[in-house]
Amino acid sequence: MTIASERLPGLVQATRRRTSLAAWLDRESVFSWLMMALPLAFLAALVGYPFFYGILLSLQDRPVAHAGTFVGLKNFVTNLHDPIFWRVTINTFVYTIVTTLLKMVGGLGLALAMNQNFRMKNLVRALLLLPFIIPTVLSTVAWLWMLDPAFSVVNRLLVSLGWPRPGPSWLGNPTLAMVSIIVINTWRGLPFYGITLLAGLQTVPSELYDAAAIDGAGGWHRFRFITLPLLRPIILIVTLFSVIFTFADFQLVYVLTHGGPQNATQLFATYAFDIAMGAGQLGLGASIALAMLPALALLIVALTIYLRRE
Amino acid sequence: MSVPATGHSTTRRGFLSLAASGSAAALIGPRPAGAAEKTITILHESSFIKPFDDYVMNTLSPAYEKETGIKVNYEVTSVGSLPTRISTIAETGSGADVTMNGLLQVIQFGDKYLDVGDIAADIGKAQGGWYDAGREAVLVDGKWKALPFSNIGQLMNWRTDWFAEVGVKKFPETWEELYEVGKKLKAKDHPFGFELGHGFGDNHGWLYPLLWSYGGAEVAADGKTVVIDSDETARAVDFCRKLFKDTMVDDCLGWTDVSNNKAWMSEQISCTNNAESILWFAKREFPDIGKVTDQAMNPAGPKGRFHLLNSISHSIFSFSPVKDEAREFMKWLMAPKQLGGWYAIADSYYQPLLHGYDNAPMWNVEPRNQPFRDALGSAHLPGWPAAASRQMAESVAKYVVVDMFAKACGGTSTKEVIKDAETQLKGIYRSA
Repeated sequence: MTIASERLPGLVQATRRRTSLAAWLDRESVFSWLMMALPLAFLAALVGYPFFYGILLSLQDRPVAHAGTFVGLKNFVTNLHDPIFWRVTINTFVYTIVTTLLKMVGGLGLALAMNQNFRMKNLVRALLLLPFIIPTVLSTVAWLWMLDPAFSVVNRLLVSLGWPRPGPSWLGNPTLAMVSIIVINTWRGLPFYGITLLAGLQTVPSELYDAAAIDGAGGWHRFRFITLPLLRPIILIVTLFSVIFTFADFQLVYVLTHGGPQNATQLFATYAFDIAMGAGQLGLGASIALAMLPALALLIVALTIYLRRE
Repeated sequence: MSVPATGHSTTRRGFLSLAASGSAAALIGPRPAGAAEKTITILHESSFIKPFDDYVMNTLSPAYEKETGIKVNYEVTSVGSLPTRISTIAETGSGADVTMNGLLQVIQFGDKYLDVGDIAADIGKAQGGWYDAGREAVLVDGKWKALPFSNIGQLMNWRTDWFAEVGVKKFPETWEELYEVGKKLKAKDHPFGFELGHGFGDNHGWLYPLLWSYGGAEVAADGKTVVIDSDETARAVDFCRKLFKDTMVDDCLGWTDVSNNKAWMSEQISCTNNAESILWFAKREFPDIGKVTDQAMNPAGPKGRFHLLNSISHSIFSFSPVKDEAREFMKWLMAPKQLGGWYAIADSYYQPLLHGYDNAPMWNVEPRNQPFRDALGSAHLPGWPAAASRQMAESVAKYVVVDMFAKACGGTSTKEVIKDAETQLKGIYRSA
């Protein structure tokens, strides 16, 4: 006796269609794109669109609430003739280079110190993150009070040490104002370096240190020939991030000095904001913001190539 | 932002549905025209004087609804965010129907505002006529793009007790006299403090008037010819440098708008330039300081006495679905009964730009505020004698004139700071 189940014709078709759809979805070329679609759409909407719109704006004379007219590279030419633009360029480079170096060296020191064993290690590590966790605007307001000659703890200390009253004008003197924003940025960014490098340090296998110790290597040699080479990729990545954030820094300067005194602390981001939002010149503002692009792009490309080669 | 009262206690579910419908409404945009219940939304910056905002929400708005059946929604935005909010509304063509303007918005958004010249003419006729400053603040290409509401003047604030210590009972009439007093006061450890940094108002508030009172200006009346490089400007710069060096605290160069208030309340300075808020705040929080705080018009220079116009005004968006209703509402709002009440609630923090209020009782509430009224006749926009323009807004945003003075105070030569300012101004006004 043979038992054969009779298949329903409709079902067969449906199953076949479903399997073919499943098979199609199963194809790697399709599936990978499908998985990528959402992040890509996300990137296109939130990064791609503003970026290309920014480029479009920079090529226009576009007063706020008016239609734009295409002017080619005129905005960029205007910037080249603007003395403040050059001041801003120098400021931004000085600010970024000095803070990055300070944060790199300081952060490495911090990570090495945190990598030792001591009591309440975890608590100290957590506390170290505080400057990074507090919203920048809040911590900057605190600094604003600390740097006010009348209320400053810094000045009170200096005066008690014999400095003539009321002590230095941190935000009124152009050089000291630059020093102030560099110090505050370093204070804020150090934990980021410290914690990231600490994570890197902990991945270094201890056997390497043991082997080096057996070979008679001292502390400096262990650092120079084991720690530093193994940490280099992480240092590079942290630096990359830090440079991007510092180069485009806005909040700190906007709250502390608003670019003053006499544009001594004016950076690309704050200047672009003043032109675009204050003066209502969206095109010119966009062209100032875009002036950051070549330097950052060059840096990113150089670092990426270097990392690939590693 | 105002939250509508629901009239019943809020449950969690109720709150969620309210929040959902609120965000849905925000997505959909303004109510379509012709809906049964009409609403006019006014956008306003949060006032330093709280009863001022409350007066609209609790008195004016219900009164108008009772009279006409049209709801008035008073939307308050935080201080400093008004330009961004107006930008958003003007760019997207939806949001509020009427908006408050600060100094620069009338020029920047004039294209999106209704011409309200007819309403302005009627108001002027009925209430003593407009101050010239009112006209200067809202005329764009000869059209009234807003109804002037008031000035929030910047004047001299001085410590009567410390001035008396050096024998001065009345505020000095000229900049040179003020300088002499300041020298004496600094020697007694009571320096002056005038903002020379990158704030929004307290710097421009005295530096443009100083420039004008020596006969200088950034641009000629044609709005195109840069005239900053003059002997008059040089004299103003030289004066500013010595005023800074011999009377002020060094820190002024880095000040923003909060700094002089902070220095005043902590008794660090004996004279500054600020809005009425210093006296208000001192009276409320530091009564002892409030008692010895007085106010005066800016001192005169060789070419006269000047003040900065820091006006606010109201405009109707041309794309508003209820623009005709908004016009009627503005007529009602600017009528003596409503307008007078609204001014009075804030004493004289908002100085009317209509001559009809020159002798209003509000000026007697705090006689120390009367100089703010007397200053209206000599108040101008930063680009004066040129009419308001985009270029003027750019020059203000770039702090050209402020930094010219500040750099001189920092030690740069007069010739150099004027050259720098001229280069910048020529770049800005080239497009005029």
